[in-house]
Amino acid sequence: MKNREWNNQVKQVLDGDRELESLSPELRREAEAARRLLLEAIDRRPVTLSAALEARIMARVRGRATARWPRAWRWLSAPTIPRWAMLVPVAAAALFVVFSRGGQQIDRQPQAQAGQRDSVYVRFELYAPRASRVALAGTFNRWDTASAPLVRVGKDGMWTVTLALPSGQHQYGFIVDGRNWVPDPAAPTVDDGFGRRNSVVSVNTINGRIL
Amino acid sequence: MDHSGAPSDGSVVRAVLSGDVDQFSVLVRRYRDRYARYATQMLGSIDAAEDAVQDAMVRAYTHLAQCREPDNFAGWFFLILRNRCFAERRRTRWESDLENIGEVAAPEQTESALERSELVEGLQRALQRLTAEQREVFVLKHVEGLSYEEIAGRVSTSVAALKMRMHRAYDRLRELLEAP
Repeated sequence: MKNREWNNQVKQVLDGDRELESLSPELRREAEAARRLLLEAIDRRPVTLSAALEARIMARVRGRATARWPRAWRWLSAPTIPRWAMLVPVAAAALFVVFSRGGQQIDRQPQAQAGQRDSVYVRFELYAPRASRVALAGTFNRWDTASAPLVRVGKDGMWTVTLALPSGQHQYGFIVDGRNWVPDPAAPTVDDGFGRRNSVVSVNTINGRIL
Repeated sequence: MDHSGAPSDGSVVRAVLSGDVDQFSVLVRRYRDRYARYATQMLGSIDAAEDAVQDAMVRAYTHLAQCREPDNFAGWFFLILRNRCFAERRRTRWESDLENIGEVAAPEQTESALERSELVEGLQRALQRLTAEQREVFVLKHVEGLSYEEIAGRVSTSVAALKMRMHRAYDRLRELLEAP
């Protein structure tokens, strides 16, 4: 296979250490290609694990806690149960795990379609006078950085986009120039688990309100 | 307690260590999904990530007395999960994981998203062919959005070493993604 290495200046752009505009036209094209190939193809959708996970973990934790007791005490205190009777709760637990795993993965239902009737138009705005492009990514578009670009309004540096959001709470952020994640200064935020903040908007379609 | 009235990680850890085993479920609920995306990207499938989180949680409980900073349970748990992910990668060949990539990568096919979904899927496959160290730095920086300095603090490595690792990852990804 032919060895293909990006120019070091292109790597610095990917790292966020160098501005795209500082490159020669040829390197700029290479950097833009690198961004498309690597950064814009990243899947940033949040992952939610199975609802049954907590029960499974705690069953193992309690089992370990019990295992720490002296064996003699367990032998004296444990009620005598026929071996076949112990299979009943084990089988029930197995069935629970098997059937509960069906819905454990990321919700793959397209949210936009599901919310077509009961959705509210929400206008997002960001003041970013130096940005050359701004996009909106969130739980409502599966953190797709390409599907909701903002449009510059006038010359004062304001960017905006309006989306129809279904009822519920949504997390989101702005992506400035394809690489800088910026929370919405006008909205509350939550910890994303890695020290950054995601903005939060709650939509109530019954009253047509944004909470 | 924090301002919301929820017990702090430190007080929950101390309660568990003093014998209240059920309190551990507070930590499970709090952190079960926090690093799920990291584990999924590292291991190539949600099922593998779930197994890793489960094992890491049980391991955290077993060694809870060794958690030196109970109020930083999250950071300590991340390191346990990270070790689990690396061990899993050493144990399994990447080829076996490729069968599961679609589970992580296939987004909804809406409008003209087909081309993007192909790019996303291609990148997911290529990521699984990096070394675990290269993949981790790529995931933490570009998926989780951490800076090099933040990553260095988490995984106890220098920024220079991380950048070298990342730059090799960029080249390797290009090699894989542009191969005919």
